[in-house]
Amino acid sequence: MKTRARLPRLVACGATLALALTLSACGDGNGGGSSDDGKIHVLVYGDAGNKVEKQIVDTFNKTSKVKAVLDTIPGADYQQKLQTIISTPNAPDIFYNWGGGSIQPFVKADLLLPLDDFIRKDPHLKDQFLPSVFNSAVVDGKAYGIPMRGTQPVLLFNNKKVLKDAGVEPPKTWDELLDAVKKLKASGVTPIALGGGDQWPTLMWFEYLYDRIAGPGLFEKALGGDKEAWNSADSKKALSMLRELVDAGAFGKNYDSVKYTNGASPALVAQGKAGFELMGSWYYSQQLEDAKEFAGKDLGYTTFPTVPGGKGEPGNVVGNTNNFYSVLKKTKHPEAAAEFLKLMYSDEFVKAQMAIGNLPTTTNTEKFLDTAASPDYARFQYDLVAKAPSFQLSWDQAYPPSAITPIHQAVQQFFNGQLDEDGFIKAMQALPTE
Amino acid sequence: MTTQITSPPPTAEPRKRARRRPDGSYTAKVARPGFGWAVPATVFFALFAIVPLIAVAVLSFMSWNGLGSPEFVGMDNWTRIADDPVMINSIWLTLLLTALGVIIQTPLSILLGVWAAGNQRNRAVLSAIYFIPLLLSSTAVSVLWRALLDPNFGIPARATWLFGDGNLFGKQATAIGVLAFVSAWQFTPLHTLIYQGAARAIPQVLYQAAEIDGAGRYRQFFHITLPQLRNSIITSMILMIVGGLTTFETVLILTQGGPGTDTTISAYYMYQKAFKGFDFGAGAAIALALVVAATIISLIVVKVSGYDKMRSDMEGVS
Repeated sequence: MKTRARLPRLVACGATLALALTLSACGDGNGGGSSDDGKIHVLVYGDAGNKVEKQIVDTFNKTSKVKAVLDTIPGADYQQKLQTIISTPNAPDIFYNWGGGSIQPFVKADLLLPLDDFIRKDPHLKDQFLPSVFNSAVVDGKAYGIPMRGTQPVLLFNNKKVLKDAGVEPPKTWDELLDAVKKLKASGVTPIALGGGDQWPTLMWFEYLYDRIAGPGLFEKALGGDKEAWNSADSKKALSMLRELVDAGAFGKNYDSVKYTNGASPALVAQGKAGFELMGSWYYSQQLEDAKEFAGKDLGYTTFPTVPGGKGEPGNVVGNTNNFYSVLKKTKHPEAAAEFLKLMYSDEFVKAQMAIGNLPTTTNTEKFLDTAASPDYARFQYDLVAKAPSFQLSWDQAYPPSAITPIHQAVQQFFNGQLDEDGFIKAMQALPTE
Repeated sequence: MTTQITSPPPTAEPRKRARRRPDGSYTAKVARPGFGWAVPATVFFALFAIVPLIAVAVLSFMSWNGLGSPEFVGMDNWTRIADDPVMINSIWLTLLLTALGVIIQTPLSILLGVWAAGNQRNRAVLSAIYFIPLLLSSTAVSVLWRALLDPNFGIPARATWLFGDGNLFGKQATAIGVLAFVSAWQFTPLHTLIYQGAARAIPQVLYQAAEIDGAGRYRQFFHITLPQLRNSIITSMILMIVGGLTTFETVLILTQGGPGTDTTISAYYMYQKAFKGFDFGAGAAIALALVVAATIISLIVVKVSGYDKMRSDMEGVS
């Protein structure tokens, strides 16, 4: 009787212990890292694009003595997971990032290898890439990243049919845009679709208008810690023009309840309920997927209108410049890492990226533009980015991660009137710059 | 019938077994399950609740962005969140949403629960339908309602007489309303279930006696059912309060704390600080404040309601 009573107790304790051990073992299960297993680990944001990264790793492994291993972290968790493993022995040797503010904390913590030595040995690691893109992974004058996917400039998309019905031409200047807003409103559609619920689509309007009016310098200064930049006359002018646009009813009344991410704002354009939408270049493939007929027939795209008298070059663009590979300082195989990075300007890389719809930012990309799924669209973007005097990285990626939420809140509050000009300026001045 | 209720059977079984033990030790007399049975739960609780809680408490006095080693900064995080207007505001929003949850869900779930405890026709089928939201994850529920409430393609577009321009997520009052509604839609079934069980446990003799005395349905409800549900109401309210204080996914998916910071409740603010801004120190401080607040509020509810004494509500039944 006694032993019978004890048995379940023992079993229960044993099972608990075993469970606890397995659970704690999970912590260090997803291998890899600077711990020297004679390989370099490449950590990438997990999505459909991994097909190309896999192919490039295979190509690298054919000739290299030090083998590369591709590790992926699925989408949304990437930045959090990276942050928690990067200073541990599980850290990768090479990892995917967004340049700018996304790597700045790592640079400050002295975790990243400046690539200047690599570039000295092989100048192609710099001169084979479009400078405006390459520069967004330069921190404190040193290069820390090599572009490794496609560029995503922000463009002004439109529904050609809606514009035609309202007698509107795609606007080349700000005044033409205001005029188009008036006409579209009169014809009963929302002039501009905006996924304000996601907050970052609202930010795009600020990025472009600030650049057109003040040039890229204002934001650079502000990012560098000069808080007065936000208080300048140019900053106030940009804000008053944005206010004018919102007050003119350009975005309708319920844009804060609309999201881009659940397909609501692109559907407005595709179904002819809105005229324009300002969005990253991925918009085209999004529409191809959601509304194939519309994308093939009526989807138009232009650059952001110019602002007469503004200091910014009309050719400047904003958006996601590209994604980058950065190298950890403590990697045991810097030479192998350098060899791996050289593949990012190879013909094979460019062809593979074009095949999945990405637009690489190497100089040799131009040769392959005709192989793109939509050659006209690819050439338009490539020319835009290649000729851009400045390519401003999205503000929420240029600032360190701790500033992302305050930026998103401020732009939303300025649009809905909770913050006035001064309130917005104060909010931006309060952002942490490092 | 009544004797069955007053002498609960669960203790009978171990008592019998204990008596058979040869040594007749103290434990055998008390007949409580041995400490060994508490080990699994204790180990899990310690590993996944106590240890992290202590770690969070320590972290709240440190500055850490996830890189390198945490640095001790004393009360810095605490003074920062105490001076933060968003934080102060988030506390009021949390309390408001919690209060709304209790006010909306309690009457609904009592009525539904008492109704579901009966034996009408169709009751089983309808109850089953009512319980469906309980089976869905909060995330799925939130995604669903976000789509249903889209101003151009959802319900508001078809019912402009009710929703106007449909800007539900663009104004504070309506955004809070949506959050309260979605939580109620999702969690009322859980509380209905609690009340259904409790209402079934009310002895029929009470109603039979009341009927003989000529009490109508409403009198029966207010003078028998409600008083008999007293302890269940407290249980359900504590669940609602703790659940309300820790609401997170609904805000994350429905409003992302917006417009601006208008629906940034404390739990979501903690997430923004710790996992978006990588300010783990401040995040830990907010989390600890939440734990303390939830514990205090629960204790107050328990004390005030006399739940801790667990008096029987069946005077005169046996």
